[in-house]
Amino acid sequence: MRNVIVFVEHKGGQTRKVTFELATEARALADALGGKAHAVVLGGGAGGLAERIKAYPLDLIHVSEDGDVDRFLIDPAIDYLERVAKSAGPSLILVPNTMYGRDVAGRIAARLNAGMAADVTQFGVEGGRVACTAPKLGGVAITTCLFKNTDYGVATVRPNAFSAQADGSGAEIVAIEKPAGRSYAMTIEDDVEEASGELGLEEAPAIVSGGRGLGGPEPFETVLKPLADALGGAVGASRAAADAGWVPYSLQIGQTGKTVSPQLYIACGISGAIQHKVGMRTAGTIIAINKDGASPIAEFSDLVVVGDLFQIVPELTKLVKESKSS
Amino acid sequence: MRFSIPEVSGSVKIVVTVKLVPDTNAEKKIDPASKRLVRAGMETVLNPYDEYAIEGALKIKESLGGDTTVTIFSMAPAASKEVLRKALAMGADDAVFLTDAGLEGSDVWGTAFAMAQGLKKVGFDLVICGGLADDGSTGGVPGALAEYLGVPGFTNCRRVDVTGNTLKVQRETDSGYQVVTGAMPALVSVTMAIGEPRYASLKGIMGAKKKTIATLALADLGLDHAVGGDGAKTEVATIAAPPVREKARIVEAADGAAGAKVIFDLLKEKKLV
Repeated sequence: MRNVIVFVEHKGGQTRKVTFELATEARALADALGGKAHAVVLGGGAGGLAERIKAYPLDLIHVSEDGDVDRFLIDPAIDYLERVAKSAGPSLILVPNTMYGRDVAGRIAARLNAGMAADVTQFGVEGGRVACTAPKLGGVAITTCLFKNTDYGVATVRPNAFSAQADGSGAEIVAIEKPAGRSYAMTIEDDVEEASGELGLEEAPAIVSGGRGLGGPEPFETVLKPLADALGGAVGASRAAADAGWVPYSLQIGQTGKTVSPQLYIACGISGAIQHKVGMRTAGTIIAINKDGASPIAEFSDLVVVGDLFQIVPELTKLVKESKSS
Repeated sequence: MRFSIPEVSGSVKIVVTVKLVPDTNAEKKIDPASKRLVRAGMETVLNPYDEYAIEGALKIKESLGGDTTVTIFSMAPAASKEVLRKALAMGADDAVFLTDAGLEGSDVWGTAFAMAQGLKKVGFDLVICGGLADDGSTGGVPGALAEYLGVPGFTNCRRVDVTGNTLKVQRETDSGYQVVTGAMPALVSVTMAIGEPRYASLKGIMGAKKKTIATLALADLGLDHAVGGDGAKTEVATIAAPPVREKARIVEAADGAAGAKVIFDLLKEKKLV
């Protein structure tokens, strides 16, 4: 593989920071491989978004605003992506490690008979081959895998693992021709936003997470959310809190929930069972607020504050807000 | 591509893919010498996400009645075959176990490719997968399977309704959900919101002992690509232990303000505010 193709996930032209992280990393990889850096933007709003992505160091941005991409589940997007991949030649395809990204990765890898690397946090190029480093088994091991052949490869990339740097270089925007003779079987009848405008947990740079110690659903809104907002982050939860029905499962972090790696993780009233640990242990700075200093969470935190979270968190929110306004 | 379209309404052949993983509640360690997971004393269990897939399948079977069947399909080393009894005890009708020394060392691509050929062999109207594997694999497998099977792949479903030959699903997205319709044969993957997996009853456990676990080998699949370690498209170069986090500083907070100050000072020091 010589080229790098970024699959851009977005909704109506709204995208997340990971898109720009991938665009930046694509440049570095393409240079190391001696190829070109591409991006693919599909569906409603693609044109406008491509103009924004242009500020990042890509060579070509392939665009289609075909309505089929939003009317039918995933299949049209894969057809377009395949078309770009085939025309670019042997490539590494980068997709964000999100719910949709994982689907895209599996589909395009099978379509191209390509190898797959998951949840990548670091890339390297060794002797013309791409090496992908990723935490496995909930961060117990850090593995580096190499793509064996030089055809196609697909990597899902962990959000927040790479930096995004615009250089205003102005990639060329090109239209993708519609793949002919396709019909699509999965019709999207309705698309409902339940958490509109909120940052995805996997992409949040800071997470304030609550467990059994919260005692009910309200403190997630009244105590944790203000701190998460002040930090520009998101609220998460332990399995105990999700099982109790205090928060939806989509907020659950851990072995049977989401794996996150924010720069800052504040665990409130979470004891730190293995179930939870494997979902967050690779976070940058981990702070626990707990009644019990001997909880297992102390074993993988940087700081444990023993005290009443209902008093500490609001005070901390105040301090963070003041620091922003000053 | 068509497999076995149900001719009689209420007669759907459901196949649930199940991965077998090291005990999810055990602390995992890597042996620094062999760079492999230390499996000594570690039980093999059903991937917890796949228990939700089994639950989803049994719910559909109950809603359809008739001759609907649920078959468990798993690809794993021979020694773990009996772990599938748990799935049968939950209420699945039978199981197919794909096992072959030649499959060992398969990467994600090889796993999906071989499983797809196995599923074609078994035949299905509806394949149901769990959303993710618990041992750190990709979550890309359901999509890859759908692609190799040439059927629609409805991923991350929290609700699946089957009427005649049509499917109507609610699938979770990062920001909400979508309602998507299509026809069988198809593949769906389910999320935990599909419903808590049922416990096996004593009757179920006893009955499972008599249920059939058929075996498939690599030669039965007639693959046109090499799989296993030789056919893998990726290879593991290194396995390292994660950087060790320094021992936590533990501070007793006299009151809310004092606790907040300690945290805020660390945030400032790390330039997080």
